[in-house]
Amino acid sequence: MQNQLQDLARRLLAEKKVDVVIGYGLSGNGRVGAFFATDEGQCDKLVWNEHCTQNLVVYLTRPEVKKLGRAAIVVKGCDARALVVLANEGQLQREEVIAIGMVCAGVVDEGGQRCAKCEICTSRAPANVDEVIGDPASVPAGPASAEERFAGGKYVKLEKLRAMPRAERFAWWKKELSRCVRCSACRQVCPLCYCKVCVADKNRPVRIETSATPSANFAWNILRAFHLAGRCVGCGACTAACPAGIDLDLLNLTLAQTAETEFGAVSGTVPGALPLIGSFSQEDKEDFIQ
Amino acid sequence: MSQVISLADIRRLAADFAQSGIVAAPLPTDSGKVFYQKVAAEEVQNIVLDGSLKCVNSIKEFLFPRHEVLYTFLRKGNDVELTDAPVFDTPQLILGCRPCESASLPILDPVFAWDFNDRFFQSRRAMTTVVSIACQKADSDCFCTDVGGSPENTSGADAILYPLDGDRFEVRLLTEKGKVLFAGKTTESSDVGHACEGPKATLDTAKITRWLNSHFNDPLWSELAHQCVGCGACTSVCPTCHCFDIVDEGSYQKGRRVKNWDYCQSALFTLHASGHNPRPDQGARQRQRITHKFAIYPEKFGAILCTGCGNCSRLCSAALGIKPALEKISSEAAEDLMPVPPLWVRNTQDK
Repeated sequence: MQNQLQDLARRLLAEKKVDVVIGYGLSGNGRVGAFFATDEGQCDKLVWNEHCTQNLVVYLTRPEVKKLGRAAIVVKGCDARALVVLANEGQLQREEVIAIGMVCAGVVDEGGQRCAKCEICTSRAPANVDEVIGDPASVPAGPASAEERFAGGKYVKLEKLRAMPRAERFAWWKKELSRCVRCSACRQVCPLCYCKVCVADKNRPVRIETSATPSANFAWNILRAFHLAGRCVGCGACTAACPAGIDLDLLNLTLAQTAETEFGAVSGTVPGALPLIGSFSQEDKEDFIQ
Repeated sequence: MSQVISLADIRRLAADFAQSGIVAAPLPTDSGKVFYQKVAAEEVQNIVLDGSLKCVNSIKEFLFPRHEVLYTFLRKGNDVELTDAPVFDTPQLILGCRPCESASLPILDPVFAWDFNDRFFQSRRAMTTVVSIACQKADSDCFCTDVGGSPENTSGADAILYPLDGDRFEVRLLTEKGKVLFAGKTTESSDVGHACEGPKATLDTAKITRWLNSHFNDPLWSELAHQCVGCGACTSVCPTCHCFDIVDEGSYQKGRRVKNWDYCQSALFTLHASGHNPRPDQGARQRQRITHKFAIYPEKFGAILCTGCGNCSRLCSAALGIKPALEKISSEAAEDLMPVPPLWVRNTQDK
């Protein structure tokens, strides 16, 4: 797959279809992270393996990267869903980006453990991409129903949390969020946190205090979760980046689960879909809207 | 003869200390990651003391908290009443930190006692006893030996533990504070502990400093700018990063002035009220972080602002961090810097 990827990248750059291929490369310390190939000669440095955990879609809205020109981007199935959301929300012109989808059997975290998100993944064969590398038939399709995904013993931490009585769950979050240092790493690595000025950065007047106190930590993390409700694609970038080791994916996935079970909405799977929180349907079961 | 203490006795010591003071030690979270955390007396069984673990965070939080109240204010008619925050006076024990963590403390001392004596840092420092543990394992992110450290660097520590086989440790007492802490708790033995072999030193920091001083506008910075998403997680886990922001919180009538960690990798860090930003892109912010550590701080305070702990690289989603950046600079410096000829050669040439 890596050779196929390198060949494709070389071809895209040679034919001047793109100015940069955003993919994965090897760092000096043996870790895998973003790599920007801007000429054919650099394409042999593109790698593909189970350490390609980072969601590269975040770079598409970075001003420094936009300056490089027209981009092709290497995405896993989960990352490709973030690309769909960005296009649906008018943040990029989908046809201006070439998405190279990698068939993915799962990736590992920085400790070498298989990521929890991969256990419930239904997008191992990437959808809504322009090129597919790898054989979609080589990977299992993953759990089909929401029940199987969220209650089938696959995402143990999430199920454990949801099974807690409300008071216990609150106490658990209080303990976890007490470690938050308010660095905003979760926001910066999130492909869907693209606001030019985040509400947390507004200081005339202050909306959310910058202090890492229990109340401000709750305010920030809950606010961010609400802003991602029905949008989060569960890529896990926030959890991986958090210097306080908070399982932020649990917060966002709880809302994703609700979006799916209550509204049948799986974020980033339908190009052109209206945002769940920005639309209504006359078929909605609540009668206050009718 | 060496001094030896059992693991059970160390846990007992920590539990006793926690009765009337603060104990900070490596403790696993629910997700299994290990953090330097405040340990309650009943939690001492969970302290991890194996010399091989990699805590995600740094001990700096216990000397330079992420959030600290400086004073409170209360408006009374036309007057404002100011009340200073109490001076930190609780005995504090940092137990089982890596030598690259304790080594950050003497590096940070001068910046908190330079043009202003920061009583917040200084009082915590005075009340704190640091017991480090000699490393038993180094990984590919470690580079303490490149910046003058080692797996058994005693700088900043009051005592250092060396794991022995069985649940015992050799204790080397380094300062009066260390001797007081372990007084009557150790037994004499002939067993001597060892640290692991350090990471192989490959970087020439003097050369890196020279390169930084002459490459303010190098293309390397924009290369790093593409990769870095400005999350700043590296700065919060860095034992030597110490930037903070001072803000007022509360209402017009009543509130507090507080000191919070700030992050040079964020655009907001240097954003002026006018809207102008002197560090307009991520490249400028990366340059600042590396230049501060390897050129500005050494020039001002005579020490590199980095202990080679590798916390930044272990956490970085984009596989950046100080070591990968230094490696890039080193390879550029090797190609770029012509050796400066000795003075007598230059004098001859001039003639």
